[in-house]
Amino acid sequence: MEFIGLYPTWHEPTIGSGWVVGLIATIHVLFSHTSVGAAIFFAFLATIAYRRNQPELLTFIKKYGLFLLVFAYVAGSITGVGIWYSTTVASPRGISALIHSFVWKWATEWVFFVIEVVGVYLVVYLVGKVDQRTHLRITWIFALASYATMLIIIGILSFMLWPGKEAWFTEGGYLNGFYGSNTFAQLAMRSAFMFTMTAVVGGIVASRLTDLDLRREIIRKLAWLGIASTITGTALFSWYTNTLPEHAHLVMQARLPDWFSVSLLAVLGGILVYFIASLIQPRLLTPVVASIATVSILVFGLWPEEVARESIRKPYVAGEYVYSNQVIGRDVPGMGIRSEIPVIQAHGLLKTHVFLPEELREVNGENAARVGRAIALSMCANCHSVTDTGMRPLRNYLGGHTDVARIKTYLKGALTTGNTLYMPLIPLTDEEAEALAVYMASLNDPQVPARYAAQRADIARAQSPSASVSMKE
Amino acid sequence: METELLYALRDPAGIPSHPVIFLVLGVLTFALHIAAVQMMLGASTLTLWGAFSKEPYRRRLAHSMINVAKVMVSVAIVLGVAPLLFVQVIYDPFWYTANVLSAWWVIGFILILLVGYTLMYVFYWRNHHLSDPAQKLSCPGAMVASVVLLLVVGFIMHVLSQQMLQPEQWMSWYAPNGDLETRGTTLHAFHPWRFLFFISLSAPVTGALLVAYQRYFRARDDVEPAYLDWVRDLAYRMINVGGVVALLLGGVWMATLPQAVAGFALSLWVWVAAGGLLGFVAFAHWVRGKGDSPWAYAVLGVGTVAIILVAVAREALRWAKLHGVHGYNALDYSINMDWYSTLTFFITFGVMGTGVLAYYLTVAWRAGQTRGVYTASAVVDRMGNIAIAMLVLWIVHYFVLGFVWWAL
Repeated sequence: MEFIGLYPTWHEPTIGSGWVVGLIATIHVLFSHTSVGAAIFFAFLATIAYRRNQPELLTFIKKYGLFLLVFAYVAGSITGVGIWYSTTVASPRGISALIHSFVWKWATEWVFFVIEVVGVYLVVYLVGKVDQRTHLRITWIFALASYATMLIIIGILSFMLWPGKEAWFTEGGYLNGFYGSNTFAQLAMRSAFMFTMTAVVGGIVASRLTDLDLRREIIRKLAWLGIASTITGTALFSWYTNTLPEHAHLVMQARLPDWFSVSLLAVLGGILVYFIASLIQPRLLTPVVASIATVSILVFGLWPEEVARESIRKPYVAGEYVYSNQVIGRDVPGMGIRSEIPVIQAHGLLKTHVFLPEELREVNGENAARVGRAIALSMCANCHSVTDTGMRPLRNYLGGHTDVARIKTYLKGALTTGNTLYMPLIPLTDEEAEALAVYMASLNDPQVPARYAAQRADIARAQSPSASVSMKE
Repeated sequence: METELLYALRDPAGIPSHPVIFLVLGVLTFALHIAAVQMMLGASTLTLWGAFSKEPYRRRLAHSMINVAKVMVSVAIVLGVAPLLFVQVIYDPFWYTANVLSAWWVIGFILILLVGYTLMYVFYWRNHHLSDPAQKLSCPGAMVASVVLLLVVGFIMHVLSQQMLQPEQWMSWYAPNGDLETRGTTLHAFHPWRFLFFISLSAPVTGALLVAYQRYFRARDDVEPAYLDWVRDLAYRMINVGGVVALLLGGVWMATLPQAVAGFALSLWVWVAAGGLLGFVAFAHWVRGKGDSPWAYAVLGVGTVAIILVAVAREALRWAKLHGVHGYNALDYSINMDWYSTLTFFITFGVMGTGVLAYYLTVAWRAGQTRGVYTASAVVDRMGNIAIAMLVLWIVHYFVLGFVWWAL
């Protein structure tokens, strides 16, 4: 018997494992983008400070750098590792697919990351303690290493959505997977918006400066940076969306609410107004206002963007071959990867899943709901909560129905055909579909499993030879 | 769990280089990571030890150690990324399963570390005059809580490492009564002696750091020699006493190994690791006898070698369990060789990374030993220019290759 390498499932019953990953990822994006943008902004400021003999600009670098040490490098590095950890437990085969194709690229990023972390300490603590040219070199090295981390991770993020070139599926190879239209479009867009985040977060530090002239100068510089990067980023966003695969556009049309585009434009417009106001009237910018702007970017800008990015790669979670439910959904001959769908179709999920107790590998009247729960946890829970709360609860899809036969027909039509746009193809044997139907019905009526067991027992009795004999008598 | 099932869990994409490379890198980077963790714990404990005292030298040491501790948390996190990456490459069936089975704690690891690290900063911010015994200590509870939380995250990692070694238990943890337990709220396996052994190594490893610290500051005429002598004595005491305690705890760990791998306790790997630790203590003793000499820095180097030998023994134990008992051979992972990404890493690491870090550390070293402003020499300037040139070249290569490949 061939087994498919499915891991145990982690199901977070309150908000769902997907939201946990999303929350950590969103916070990390804010930290990491801000720090990369800030590193480059520091290099720019340090260059001005030394060329024009404006040492007061170094005061800002030191203060912002210290702020970033905690804000971005403490929380950023922990949440960065946190993304690995959370995806490991929520989507082990998704992260595994990325790790196994890009381990050396991640290891290369790690080299830059080490340089970056050493660099931020030196940039901050060596202000005024080393000669100007040395400090400038340190700052530029820090900026270049920071940006290099972004260059690498963008390729991996692009692959996660869509392998760089179609040739990757047939020929494999790191370069085919890493470089593509989406890689550069996403890199350009994120590079612009990282400066937007740098400018917003920098406002928290700049607004606390006590030297009023310096405060005004820095706030204006940040405002110009913010205005330029927001306008550029908005323009690059349309390039980015044009590089998305066709099915991503279809999913966007089908899944994202109508107000999504409008709200996105409203957020970008709001950011522009914020920067223009602080440019015209720097006094308006206070630490509270800048902090609110930072949280607003997180909640109204990054969170919807991350949710949208998550949605448009459905039904896949990585490289357009690992389904969101962890099953490998297509062949990738270039990497020697075979779809697991035929194996499940031939033998059923219960027989081929590594992590199932033996008593749940066969369906009977007594264990149908338990088997159904195991199938739901394994095949559905990554995107659909099996509790009342969390991400897209399963019970909401039944309209209150508890008829096992009807639900089973619905499941066979919706899941086993692969015809639902953003849903994986989930092959289910007749028995598996029935067990899943019993479990799903029980979410709306807890008496269903008992009734189903009694019904199966009646049928079994009616069909048994002894029953036939007694009926004849 | 049967060997066939373990192999089924492997990633079908294979790996882009020979598995032995990932195995070796995993051991080396784990050693560096755990050494940083031990320095972080040692420096944090010395911070508390000094902070609660009115004795001037202890307070002064606490002031230095809180700075060391907060940098070491960063270093430990950064260095921890590498072994975390490599373990997923060749031990993915074990690592992923161990994590999912205690998922709630894996997520908790992130939050606890975040809170623990933040509390350390809170203590630091509230005690800028820590070196002054006349100043009242502010928020000591933050530092105590920080150390406790850092130990908790260490324990979570320890549990995950233990769980990955026990595939025979996985199903009983995942489906204890025949039903799936998917909340991941339980820590299933731990080995207190193993955990205590690694924690106890904090004393000798931090001792080695202090030996280098006292030597480094002897170059500064604004640091009192009597204080440095006191630090030196403390450092060697930590190496001697800590080294012996660690060896004893290591011995108890080996004596309490599960029956299936009990024989490992007397293997060559264990003797070599124990010899490395003993050699480290002996070397430190020898260096102490030489008085004030540059050999003091070598204590840190020899200590690192000893930790590498411990890491090798730890890996050998994993091999003994997973291969010897469960039949899983990490070295027969299928290879999808990718020369470009393999060479990119080694060149970036060996040439560019080494060059840039050499420049950074040279500047940091010299600046730390200079009163006033440090002016770099022509050689150091040249190192800086080369470092920038290498980084620019790397970025140019990324775009040129990327655009050409994309256009093809």
